Amino acid sequence: MSAEAEADGQSSRIEINGVGKRYGDLQVFKDINLEFREREIVTIVGPSGCGKTTLLRCIDGLLPVNEGEIRIEGDVITQPREGVSMVFQHFGLFPWKTVRQNVGYGLKLAGAPRAEIAEKVPYYVDLVGLKGFEDAYPYQLSGGMQQRCGLARALTMEPSVLLMDEPFAAVDAQTREILQFELLKIWRMRPMTMVFVTHSIEEAVLMGDRVVVLKGRPSSVFEVIDVDLPAPRDRSTLAHPRFTEIREHVWTTLMDEVRAAEYELN
Amino acid sequence: MDRVLTFVNSDRAYVRWGTVLLALLAGGLLWEVVGLQFNQAIMAPLIGDGVDHPGTLPRLGRYLFDDPEYLLSLLQSIQLFATGFGLALLIALPFGIILARLVMLRVALESYILMLYVTPMIALIPFILSILGFDFWPKVLVVYLFAFFPILYNTLEGARSVKPEMLEVAKSFRSSEFAIWTDILIPYTLPFALTGIRQAAGRALVGMVAAEFFLSTSGLGEELQTASRNFDMAGVLATILVITGLGISFMKIAGVFEQKYSAWRGLDR
Ligand SMILES: Nc1ncnc2c1ncn2[C@@H]1O[C@H](COP(=O)(O)OP(=O)(O)OP(=O)(O)O)[C@@H](O)[C@H]1O
Ligand SMILES: [Mg+2]
Repeated sequence: MSAEAEADGQSSRIEINGVGKRYGDLQVFKDINLEFREREIVTIVGPSGCGKTTLLRCIDGLLPVNEGEIRIEGDVITQPREGVSMVFQHFGLFPWKTVRQNVGYGLKLAGAPRAEIAEKVPYYVDLVGLKGFEDAYPYQLSGGMQQRCGLARALTMEPSVLLMDEPFAAVDAQTREILQFELLKIWRMRPMTMVFVTHSIEEAVLMGDRVVVLKGRPSSVFEVIDVDLPAPRDRSTLAHPRFTEIREHVWTTLMDEVRAAEYELN
Repeated sequence: MDRVLTFVNSDRAYVRWGTVLLALLAGGLLWEVVGLQFNQAIMAPLIGDGVDHPGTLPRLGRYLFDDPEYLLSLLQSIQLFATGFGLALLIALPFGIILARLVMLRVALESYILMLYVTPMIALIPFILSILGFDFWPKVLVVYLFAFFPILYNTLEGARSVKPEMLEVAKSFRSSEFAIWTDILIPYTLPFALTGIRQAAGRALVGMVAAEFFLSTSGLGEELQTASRNFDMAGVLATILVITGLGISFMKIAGVFEQKYSAWRGLDR
């Protein structure tokens, strides 16, 4: 893998082959087979607790898998890899660091020159709409602002693979919409492989080139839906008849699961 | 009734400081009255009459402003305190974090640490005396032992409670172990450690006096001993005030640091 190709984000590709994960006796998912292509946005939906976060952790190299293997650009993942960044569901900000320091965290670790940090950090802080809050501490920010800070921290690394765990869950509806299109814009400027976990079916269909539906207990891939909507995606996409069709399809697929769970409970 | 309650619970600065002042005055007055009742070999008043009842405050003034030998003793004590306490800091802080990072080492040592944390260190003084003798360094060891375990214990508990989410972020961004310390472990642990440090300051002061009392006498411990042997209660009480002053200053300093380094805790403080 040449350094240039990696910097271009040209060759990112993730293969997930027969992957299973257990926590002690709890089998979270099994036999997951997926392939994420270069510059593709894949969204993952599934009921709460089905292992979406766990899967992202495995892809990021934070957790070992129990069965199968995950490869990025051909290399088996055993630990976090350069060029792969993650946005955490729990935000994971450092409370003693300001927004500026939190966003610059990854660059500083990577040994980036000061000038580069001084240039990129304000750019991405601005991009996620946190301009003016550079010197605020996380406890002074709302949940949505903290989440955007975490997003900026990952974007600043300009990764070739971006893993996002419900990055807009704590953001209000309007900001969420702005950020969704902003993220698509960033992606068009610097295409990268994006794996995007969300609870919102609308968001999954709007953002994804493909939508992966996880289901079952232990869960596995129930369906992979190609979202054949015209590019670029923007507000008008939401009104596209095909959008509604796919959304309803995903909804029904997931609804069966919810019903089954309810049935189990009764 | 309501107005009384409002006044009593008022958080205005002048009410607060007025209350403190009144309380101190009342205490001082009580001391003065009681002190004047007794023979000077049993109890000394705060101010006294300078004849049959020498006062504590005049003595304190003489000690601090007109008695180079006493100042030397004070300096000696501070030196002992600073050396023992400084060593305890230097060793307990990193050791506490290391123990939090190395589970096996912690499990192996945990019960010993807890035991020593609750051991009244004063009980160890005879051993130190018989093994190490009367030098400066055995005394340092006493102060060190008094201070070490509160710092270690609090640092360890703090470092252990570091949120796994933060370590996960560090791992995801491929942090080195060194950077994990500077970015996460140290800033996270500092407020906990400072609680231990404040506790340790009080204990180290006890250790200092005990060491100067029971090992080779020196410093304020010696002053205390000489005065009490001469039934000079004004001298005893004045020295106690000096030690109290040292303790309070130290706690205040640690408190300032504690505030500074726990500001990030914001509302969940
Ligand atoms: N560290 C852990 N140890 C043991 N069990 C865990 C651990 N982390 C998660 N689990 C369990 O694994 C399952 C999947 O958790 P995970 O967080 O991946 O779900 P999720 O799909 O991300 O859920 P949500 O949509 O609510 O975020 C859950 O049943 C959870 O209780
Ligand atoms: Mg999750």
